[in-house]
Amino acid sequence: MEFKVRSYRFNPEIDDKPYYKEYIVQDFPGMTVLNALMKIKAETDGTLSFRRSCRSAICGSCAMKINGISKLACKTQVSSEIEKFGMIKSNPLFNMPVVRDLIVDQEIFFDKIKKIKPYLLGQRDNEEYHRFHVLREGEKIAQPVYHKSEFQNLTGNDDAPNCILCECCYSECGGVVGNKNYLGPAALAKLYRYSEDPRDNDKNGSRLVNGSQPEGIWDCIHCQACEEFCPKGISPVKAITKLHEKAIKNSITFSKGAKHIISIAKSIGETGRLDEVKVAADTGGIAGLINDLPMAFGAGLKGKIPPIRLKLIKDMDDIRLAYKELDLEEK
Amino acid sequence: MISYVYYPGCVAQESGKELDNATKFVAKKLDINLIPMPEASCCGGGVIDGFDENLKLFINGRTLALAEKTGFDILTVCNTCTLTLSEVNEELINNKGLLDKTNEYLAKIGLRYEGRVKIKHILYAIRDDIGFDNLKKKIANSLRGVSIAPFYGCHILRPSSVVKFDDVENPQGFEELIGALGGEPLSYVRRTKCCGFQTILINETTSTSLAGNAILEAQEKKADVMVTPCPLCHLSLDTYQTVAAKSINKKLSLPIMHLPQLIGVALGGSYAEMGFSRHNISLRPVMAKIKQNRF
Ligand code: FES
Repeated sequence: MEFKVRSYRFNPEIDDKPYYKEYIVQDFPGMTVLNALMKIKAETDGTLSFRRSCRSAICGSCAMKINGISKLACKTQVSSEIEKFGMIKSNPLFNMPVVRDLIVDQEIFFDKIKKIKPYLLGQRDNEEYHRFHVLREGEKIAQPVYHKSEFQNLTGNDDAPNCILCECCYSECGGVVGNKNYLGPAALAKLYRYSEDPRDNDKNGSRLVNGSQPEGIWDCIHCQACEEFCPKGISPVKAITKLHEKAIKNSITFSKGAKHIISIAKSIGETGRLDEVKVAADTGGIAGLINDLPMAFGAGLKGKIPPIRLKLIKDMDDIRLAYKELDLEEK
Repeated sequence: MISYVYYPGCVAQESGKELDNATKFVAKKLDINLIPMPEASCCGGGVIDGFDENLKLFINGRTLALAEKTGFDILTVCNTCTLTLSEVNEELINNKGLLDKTNEYLAKIGLRYEGRVKIKHILYAIRDDIGFDNLKKKIANSLRGVSIAPFYGCHILRPSSVVKFDDVENPQGFEELIGALGGEPLSYVRRTKCCGFQTILINETTSTSLAGNAILEAQEKKADVMVTPCPLCHLSLDTYQTVAAKSINKKLSLPIMHLPQLIGVALGGSYAEMGFSRHNISLRPVMAKIKQNRF
């Protein structure tokens, strides 16, 4: 089968603006999008630039937008793309500046990974023992041995450590689209992974406190794109949700986001419903309410303002019991 | 006649009452029996697991058990309710430990869940259970020549391991429905992107810029109206449209309909019956265009 590849091209050194170039490629059984691009580069156009290395979905280099969605080119079959879209349209990843063609500048992404301190914090109690030193006569290297069964306990979860830093989630993240400074899914999934690691010695909860600052865990918009498009089956949004729960359970509730969720939980505990007016007031405090007043009045004039006092749902005692059973009444 | 347990969600019973009314209007026209569930609680707005994971299981397990007792599936009109109920349903069906734990709580309130309920959003209930052919027979107002921008939003598509209605990479259900109603579905990139609602009270600029850019794209492509299957998206897109315009520094004025309102209009619903006076952005221009089409 012959098929069309339409690739984004841009070389800032010579091009005024980006353009698309089309190539016709002959497929072979099992051809991946990366195979196709490499074929173009080898046989038709040596100037087409893209990153790749392992060709087996493990190094994370070849991530790009394929027919509008961030994917690993080496893990994407040409046949399924052609079946669905009729051609291969390749674009660089989103949310990062283009260096050339399909290559993006990854610096912002890695800066954000560094921001969450992707290493074990603090000192171990027996630090002295583990410090590097010349081995004495007969001394064995002391190294902790971990068994596979301990892996999940060690890292807190079994998926976030599998991240290959390919940036697919970052490219699809709506939170980053809306706010360039938002840390984004990969960094926050990593934050969760370290915050759960029993070897991490984060005595004063700095991970959760720092993570709760603006642009951190509470800026997730829950669009689910990171989970949907992660080529390794990781769910950053679930990791972020766990961080929310952990922060609230540890009373790290200074952020608007935490106040927001607590208010929703309180409202459901009291009425069985989400009280739009109360939640708005609790989340933003007075300032938030004043900020939203023009909107509220606009809506109010059109009769859209929500009822001030909500009717309780029927059998409200059922819900109260759920809170009691889970020991959530005080919160 | 087909019956569902009706789960309108909180917004459709509060600030988005017009959605509830339009849904009931459509149900009547299409011979759908909506069984009310006054005991049902809020699903937790898609964020309650950030407060307590088990609370999400318990309150939604209760809703599912209540529905199961009636013997009918749940009909939703909100993306986030759809996802949350579906998530809990999947968890309970696939994890015996969680099901037992939830049932322990449910036993105390005289309920039990077996995992037999399905959750259907009205968009896909019409496609799968009513059928477009039956829908077409009831059309009373022509949407011919009306350019309609479908705004899917997130939770009706993603994660596709949980909400399995459509192809997450290239969904078509919404376009097909618009086509069946006689309208012209507009093709634009941001149809499957996020409206930003979840952080609207936390980081207003981030949130509204997402809605703003989606509206702008559809507006530049000459949409007459944007339609959303989710009342949370509707808040972002309509109620906050003026704020969104400011945050992206553009002029925006695109009317936004709830999906049941669009269907309602096609089935003969009037401006008043659809509750359009409750919207921020006026529906008059698009309604005038539809009126000109009178059969
Ligand atoms: S080339 Fe390594 S992940 Fe594709």
